[in-house]
Amino acid sequence: MGLSTHIIRRLLLVIPMLIGVTLLTFLVSRVVPADPLVVIVSEKALDHPDIVEAAIRKWGLDKPLPQQYLYYVWNLAHGDLGVSFKTKRPVAQDLAQYLPATVELSVASLLFATAVGLPLGILAAVKAGSWIDHLARFISLLGASMPPFWSGLMALFLFYFKARILPGPGRIDARAATPHGITGLYLLDTFLLGDTNAFADALRHLILPSVILGWFTLAIICRITRSSLLEVLRMDYIRTARAKGLHERVVLLRHALRNAFIPTLTTMGLAFAGLMTGAIMTETIFAWPGIGRYAVEAAVNLDYPAVLGTTLLIALIYIFVNLIVDILYGVIDPRIREA
Amino acid sequence: MKFVRLSLTLILVTALVVTLAACAPRATPTPVPLPTLVMVMNMDDVVTLDPHHAYETTNLMIHNSTYDTLVEFRAGDLTKVAPRLADRWEVSADGLTYTFYLHPGVKFTSGNPVTAEDVRFSWMRLKNIKDNPAFYADIVADVQVVNDTTVKVILTEPSPAFLAICAAPAMCIVDSKVVKEHGGTDAADADQTDKAKDWLDQNSAGSGPFILTKWTPKAEIILEANPNYWRGKPKLGKVIIKHVADPTTALQMLQRGDADMVESLDVDLVEQAKADPNLQVIIGQTLNQNYLAMTSNPELSKPLSDKRVRQAIALSVDYDGLIKALLRGYGSRAPSIIPLGILGVDPAMTQGRNLEKAKALLKEAGYEKGFEVELCYGSNPVRETIAAKLKSDLAEVGITVNLKPMEQSVYLSEMRAQKLAFCFGGWTPDYLDPTMWTDYFSYHDRGIAKRMWYNNPEAERYAKIVGTELDPAKREQAIKDLQKVLMDDMPFTMLYQNQQIVAMNKAVKGFAYHPVHFVSFFDLSK
Repeated sequence: MGLSTHIIRRLLLVIPMLIGVTLLTFLVSRVVPADPLVVIVSEKALDHPDIVEAAIRKWGLDKPLPQQYLYYVWNLAHGDLGVSFKTKRPVAQDLAQYLPATVELSVASLLFATAVGLPLGILAAVKAGSWIDHLARFISLLGASMPPFWSGLMALFLFYFKARILPGPGRIDARAATPHGITGLYLLDTFLLGDTNAFADALRHLILPSVILGWFTLAIICRITRSSLLEVLRMDYIRTARAKGLHERVVLLRHALRNAFIPTLTTMGLAFAGLMTGAIMTETIFAWPGIGRYAVEAAVNLDYPAVLGTTLLIALIYIFVNLIVDILYGVIDPRIREA
Repeated sequence: MKFVRLSLTLILVTALVVTLAACAPRATPTPVPLPTLVMVMNMDDVVTLDPHHAYETTNLMIHNSTYDTLVEFRAGDLTKVAPRLADRWEVSADGLTYTFYLHPGVKFTSGNPVTAEDVRFSWMRLKNIKDNPAFYADIVADVQVVNDTTVKVILTEPSPAFLAICAAPAMCIVDSKVVKEHGGTDAADADQTDKAKDWLDQNSAGSGPFILTKWTPKAEIILEANPNYWRGKPKLGKVIIKHVADPTTALQMLQRGDADMVESLDVDLVEQAKADPNLQVIIGQTLNQNYLAMTSNPELSKPLSDKRVRQAIALSVDYDGLIKALLRGYGSRAPSIIPLGILGVDPAMTQGRNLEKAKALLKEAGYEKGFEVELCYGSNPVRETIAAKLKSDLAEVGITVNLKPMEQSVYLSEMRAQKLAFCFGGWTPDYLDPTMWTDYFSYHDRGIAKRMWYNNPEAERYAKIVGTELDPAKREQAIKDLQKVLMDDMPFTMLYQNQQIVAMNKAVKGFAYHPVHFVSFFDLSK
């Protein structure tokens, strides 16, 4: 099967998956023993029938559940994700507002995690048992065991409050004007606007949260790379390659790493999708207006248009990232594409 | 070996990039007219900045600074209604008609004059939009424009609370021309036809000392001074309010000089703030009541439906220990539903802990050996600590309390469905009148009294007097009588009244805590 057919087939699968996601989320969010009116109408206003009636009419809560679902899917098919009960703004507008901050943070975190975790994992495998291996294990252990709410606070305390070498919370200096949004990605926007000072400031603000958020991913990438590379290095074909007298670098890079990289790539794909949605603590500590907090608040507030919207977005991110990972598998190992 | 070198190089390069980025020159803030005040706070609650839709806490502060109300309560004297847009007002003998005389020559930030028609439009839009704050205008039957600066308001019934309601930020006066230009309407079907919310989320259409120039949800709100403000030019050029949810981080920003004011500090951080010579810490007395509510419905809890048991529970709580130990002393306690600082409160009525009396009451009610009960509450870290303390307090008289923390939305759903027997809740005022509490805690068909199945016609009779009696002395007496009835029936026992801890740079002057809208930026300087 060719690569393009593979991609098309995967993309077509997205449609039933998304329908399943919406149906499941819709049902789950409506089975919860709580009344959406609680989020929409305040305690005081609840005793005022005209306010309650207006809210029920406005939010369609008087309609039967199947009708509410069909109405939702119909609107979805027209690109309308509905209006959030909590923020009272279109969900699409909310997601567009919070997504860029999350994308910027996640990409920076993954870059950091890969740039450090991958070579560290390779070194740990090649030099298994040496001090480098021990160091890699120590760094990974720290990343995997320190909860971000603690490491984030510590990092701010040390580098922002005490040493004063890095800026505090937020995406840009508290007194500086936020860059006028082109993409909502501050680094890209300030770069496109040619504002070098703001670019440097945005970059500096990105360091601590991305290191804190990325550290856990770094730990996973490092450990997976190490273990899969060690396994591959023990295989017969590597022994054959070495016996042929190939240079160790060629054995490692061309023969061993190519195979060992597949589990790492899978991990990176999953980790990236996880970074996009699981940054709630990092977002709180660093006052980062991302999608993690929005998703959690939507869930606890029974704001099901927002829950559905974020679930759909997260599902799409997972599907998209997995698709890219699948394509990359094919690039690394053509046998997978042919299978 | 080359590969080892390559890998080490990559790690070093990453470290170098991070370090270089860290050392990059700091951004020069865009020059703005000074002084700018940066305040950090948790702004998670902000949903909209349209004053006729908003019903959260943070927006009260924003609306008080971007719009004017007809009258106001100045911080420091919460018992006296002071003029604001209205220079004076007259009340008809039957208490049904209020005539307000607007200060002449006042202009909105658009340049349009503030007229009686704007008052009519504002209140009718609020009423007809039928969103959460619409109940403020319930009492208003009609608004009549007499001339450009005179407006006559007809009430549905005499209300001693009306002027206090007029001072609430939701009753602010908007620029009707500008709001209409952006799709606003005061028509009867405004709940479906008004389209001005999106615009009012990002802009203000008021005559206040500041102008809203930007709101980025969960990030920042920016206000700029209105240089033509009719009561004088503000002393701050700009106010930037930043969303910082973590209290430790917020204090660090203040101490580092990145912020000038932290809206609310945790009690755990007060000593740290007080120890900093560059900071000042101000304690504000809120009017927020935190209480235990006990059902009168025997089907939900037979023991609690007996008032002797409810009285025993109220006598078992170690209020002083709770305030001194858990709140580190940053709390007060009102005797009953009326908080300290509001008409009719009598601290002498305060009832403390009396375990012997509590045990005697339980014995009399037939619960000498105690009973089990489930305490329900919307979970948050403060409530968790206090609930644990309540559990241990009540255990001393033999009552086994099973704690049931819930998501706030689930808790509210169950509580509003009248399904809960024993609750730990809170009540925050919207305006400064005793009816804010007497209405909520007394009537069998509304508020928390309804949710807890409390029904005593005597309590309702007194509450009705509080809601309609125009003679302050008679009203005060009714408030006291109502509290006596409630303290005998004991459907609620007040646990504590929060204090708000505000920390700011010593350079900030003019701060006076206000229990409804927190701060007036117009009074601040730096």
